Amino acid sequence: MSVVEVARDDGATLKGVTSTVLLDLRAVEKVFADKVVLAPTDLRVDEGSFVSIVGPSGCGKSTLFNVIAGLLRPDGGSVTLQGRDVVGATGHVGYMLQKDLLVPWRTVEDNITMAARLTRRVGANDREEAREIARRYGLGEFLDHYPKALSGGMRQRVAFMRTLVTHQQLLLLDEPFGALDAQTRLDMQKWLLDVWRESGRTVLFITHDVDESIFLSDRILVMSPRPGRIVADVDNPLARPRDIDILTDPTFVALKARIMHLLHGGTS
Amino acid sequence: MRVVTPFISIGLLLLVWQAVVVGFHVKPYVAPRPLVALKAVSDNWGVLWPLVLEIIRETVFGFLGGAVIGVFFGVVMAKVRFLQRIIYPQLILSQAVPVVAIAFPLTVILGFGSVKPIIAIVIWIVFFPVTVNVLDGLSHVDQDLLNLARVYGASRWRTFIHIEVPGAVTPLFSGLKIGATYAITGAFIGELVSPPLGGTNLALYVEHANSNFDPASVYGVTLLMAAIGVAWFLLVAGAGTLATPWERRSVARRWRRRSIAAPQVDH
Repeated sequence: MSVVEVARDDGATLKGVTSTVLLDLRAVEKVFADKVVLAPTDLRVDEGSFVSIVGPSGCGKSTLFNVIAGLLRPDGGSVTLQGRDVVGATGHVGYMLQKDLLVPWRTVEDNITMAARLTRRVGANDREEAREIARRYGLGEFLDHYPKALSGGMRQRVAFMRTLVTHQQLLLLDEPFGALDAQTRLDMQKWLLDVWRESGRTVLFITHDVDESIFLSDRILVMSPRPGRIVADVDNPLARPRDIDILTDPTFVALKARIMHLLHGGTS
Repeated sequence: MRVVTPFISIGLLLLVWQAVVVGFHVKPYVAPRPLVALKAVSDNWGVLWPLVLEIIRETVFGFLGGAVIGVFFGVVMAKVRFLQRIIYPQLILSQAVPVVAIAFPLTVILGFGSVKPIIAIVIWIVFFPVTVNVLDGLSHVDQDLLNLARVYGASRWRTFIHIEVPGAVTPLFSGLKIGATYAITGAFIGELVSPPLGGTNLALYVEHANSNFDPASVYGVTLLMAAIGVAWFLLVAGAGTLATPWERRSVARRWRRRSIAAPQVDH
């Protein structure tokens, strides 16, 4: 995997670099009370990549996430992570929602170590790691603060740090910035790209915001409801590292037009 | 100012009492002036204080028993839905029965003249608000937070200890505060129906004062019991504040901090 990371740091494209499939979904489907929430779906995600999923409400994106995370058992198909069957199992992904889900009775530091606390004894090295990551990403001053003392953007940062220290290779982010104002959101997107590059993780990212999906990802999956399914898998050719000026780049605009067209029922 | 206002408020109440008794020429054998009532207490303090200690003991032990039993029922009903459907109606029924009525059979069962029925009555009154609040707290944990714990691979036990229990601390103390104000009432009713054989207690003292046309003592001891109730409430409320620092503070207390970051100013 380091090969891919080096390539990315140089700002080069991934072409020519062999990549391994981290997540492999085959014919995964989910039915709720005779309603097909997710039609048989195939999806392969390369290790180290950033993949966004866009689509209207009810297109099955959150269902897809819950199946991958193990919260829901699919009615058919297989889910393998690093070659391991994970259907119905939990404890193999990092997971973050629009709600930060920080517990009010724990300080920032203790919220970051929450996953460890829920699965084993929190050790000195867990705490040291939490402090280190909080300092590195600008929250070192707030380690002893309770979450309610933080702004929305800071809380989402803490929630993301909590997700990172789970040391899971695959991070599922379900509209993590959906509740933030536009300016904070842009700051968070840039921050996320930095952290993602440094951490070498694989991200699956749900969003309603087409701009956000293009700005962040290598691939954009467009989903559609009734039944929930992936209707298009769009490669994003924009070079990294990216900054806000790409938001007006012609390639960006063309890609956005294409995805908007797909979202409104068009075909590619 | 925040410390002083409650005292001013209660002082005002005593002033209104004084004004009503003086203004309407209320006869001393009907209702005393507040200072006369307090003097009746201080004049008989030698007789009263062992009785006061006794009722405090009953109040505190009954309260603690009620708290433990209340938490037990709350947890059991929150965790086992089937038992909730069976136990909850019975618990509600237990509170619908007039406590004074149930007090008599309780003394027969637990022993007339013993302290056991008194404690039992306090428990009977205290446990219910605790149970209701604990059940409420445990039943309203954010489902997304529980899902997050599951995604992490958390066991049910660890989820309970680290997510559900801390989330129920604030409602627990709401229940305990209600119970704290009721506890002294329970102890008084208990003392009325189960006086010690050949001895006396604070309730009998009030009863005798009442039949001897001594309203000053009746009112005085009543004020005293109210003061005990308030003091107990304040203690429990204070424990609640200590137990939930995140409700009022932005930064953890020094001794709770784990990080070795630069010292910070509390606000």
